[in-house]
Amino acid sequence: MSVAKTGPGSPGITLGSDFRSTYATLLILMAAGAYAIGARVLGGLNVTGLTSITPWGVWVVFYIFFVGLSAGAFLLSTLIYVFGMHRFEKIGKEALLVSLISMVVALCFILLDLGRMDRFIYALWFGNATSVLAWEVRFYMLYILLLAVELFYAMRPDLVRLRGEASLRGRLAAALTRNRDNLSPAALERDHRVMRVLGALGIPLAILGVHGGTGTLFAVVKAQPYWNSALFPVLFVVSALVSGTALLMVLHIFRCRRQGRKLDLDLLRGMGALLLGFLALDLMLEFYEYLIGAYRLEAAEWATLTSIFAGRYAWSFWLIQIGLGAIIPVIILARGSRNSAGNLFLAALLVLAGIMAVRFHIVLPPLALPQLPGLPWGHYGPTWVEWVSSLGLMAMGMLLYVAGTNFLPVDGTAEDERSGNNG
Amino acid sequence: MEMKLGMMIDLDKCIACQACTIACKAENNVAEGIQWNRVMAVMDPASKYPNVKVELYPRPCMHCERPPCLPVCPVSAIYKRADGIVMQDYDKCIGCRRCMAACPYGARGFNYEEPFKGKGYEGKPNYLNPDPAVAPRQANKVEKCTFCFQRVDQGKQPACIGACPSVARFFGDLEDPNSDVAKQIKRRKAEPLNPEKGTVPTVFYAPRG
Repeated sequence: MSVAKTGPGSPGITLGSDFRSTYATLLILMAAGAYAIGARVLGGLNVTGLTSITPWGVWVVFYIFFVGLSAGAFLLSTLIYVFGMHRFEKIGKEALLVSLISMVVALCFILLDLGRMDRFIYALWFGNATSVLAWEVRFYMLYILLLAVELFYAMRPDLVRLRGEASLRGRLAAALTRNRDNLSPAALERDHRVMRVLGALGIPLAILGVHGGTGTLFAVVKAQPYWNSALFPVLFVVSALVSGTALLMVLHIFRCRRQGRKLDLDLLRGMGALLLGFLALDLMLEFYEYLIGAYRLEAAEWATLTSIFAGRYAWSFWLIQIGLGAIIPVIILARGSRNSAGNLFLAALLVLAGIMAVRFHIVLPPLALPQLPGLPWGHYGPTWVEWVSSLGLMAMGMLLYVAGTNFLPVDGTAEDERSGNNG
Repeated sequence: MEMKLGMMIDLDKCIACQACTIACKAENNVAEGIQWNRVMAVMDPASKYPNVKVELYPRPCMHCERPPCLPVCPVSAIYKRADGIVMQDYDKCIGCRRCMAACPYGARGFNYEEPFKGKGYEGKPNYLNPDPAVAPRQANKVEKCTFCFQRVDQGKQPACIGACPSVARFFGDLEDPNSDVAKQIKRRKAEPLNPEKGTVPTVFYAPRG
């Protein structure tokens, strides 16, 4: 394999060679998405299927989905940079990159959902100390900043090494490290210290601020008893860990396969074990959330749970959230070290679909119920604008990932191949 | 003494004629698809055809003493006036719909369309009330009943009060024991709707006899 000799900066991993069809597909999806977003900008929220009864739809679903992916991927990176789990070192930088991109995608979704997109800056300009959302917006900004800085420090030694390269990525590396090219042991030690501190600050930020906070957005709504539980923010954080780990596995396996690179099965099986643990914890909390919610016998919550378990959402709940998204992955992941990369890819992909279903079942079922008997039921169905713009934004995230892994030295497995210690 | 505006709706007198809804729409230039005041029909699930029992409740904004919509607004676009009216600042509202999810009475509506514009409105008078205080709101923002603050400020009663042909609605200062509304609430033992939501509404309902 030519990649093995050169590592980051190798001519073998250049823009066109492995991802031409991926780029083409993503650009087509993004063009379609841009058209749909244009329709939304011109037509306002009237182009959605939303009503005054169901004011939140798929954009909010994908917003919380991507916030969760981001928080999960980041927390995984802290296992390495803060808690010293060097077993996962190789995926650390990729985790930070995925976390950063997911957060950008999440914010794009919530921007689309804002009735007055032109007033998004009001969310920072005006405030309200009692508003969870007002706090959230500020936490998101801090978090993105922290992710970018931490990712920079994680990549710095590699960026400095790439400076000499006569390619676009060499020039990018030189621009990024203009005044920061010191690779002395003292400077590297300082980098590690910065990353430990940022990672440690990031943990409460990601847990309480970013995803726990996103769960709190829902949990504080007393008018929706289905959301109104103290377990809800915790469930958000745990499901974030599940989806973030699964996303990293899917992306990593996809990319390495495309680049014809040897997969580090030890690393992937380790991540599979983590995923199984997170998923088990998530399922347990979900079980308690549903059980205690049902026993509360509150009319609105009962109606919501009925629509999930035995009504309008029963197919997606039992088939996607429970069957494909939980039972099958648990069976696959429980095989542990007997799993091939393909099996792990499948399990992680199914888990992602399952968590996406979880997000749908958080937002939509309670909002279909009228808040008072006598008000109409919500009959929300997403329009083409909502679906196509969502696809476009996800394609944008994927494009950023493929380009990011091409132009930035985030791949730890490639480093191993370079130094020849890949087992 | 501080003022606390409130309303009582006598369900025993209400004939569900929707005059309050129409008066509200005309007074406040409320666009299509939104009802600030809504007369809800609630069917008793235990009743069977042909003896169906339907209860009717007019529902304005409850102008709660502890409005759940107010603390959740990220831009402080919701505020409570000294007289208790819960107001929406349309110049601040970013249309995030947090408040709609938080209202247990479904009193908040969203202007998905540009009001009084587009198809069907060409060349017609756009809206009824020229008062700039109730100029049609822009699209993509949340709006709701204001107890007709523009009339209250002129010492008048909300439009729905005068429009009610059976005099089922009373409005005034709840703190003043001699006000019409306070006396009626006491006499009719009126109660707020769903008090267990904890929002302490200032709209009271007198029970059907």
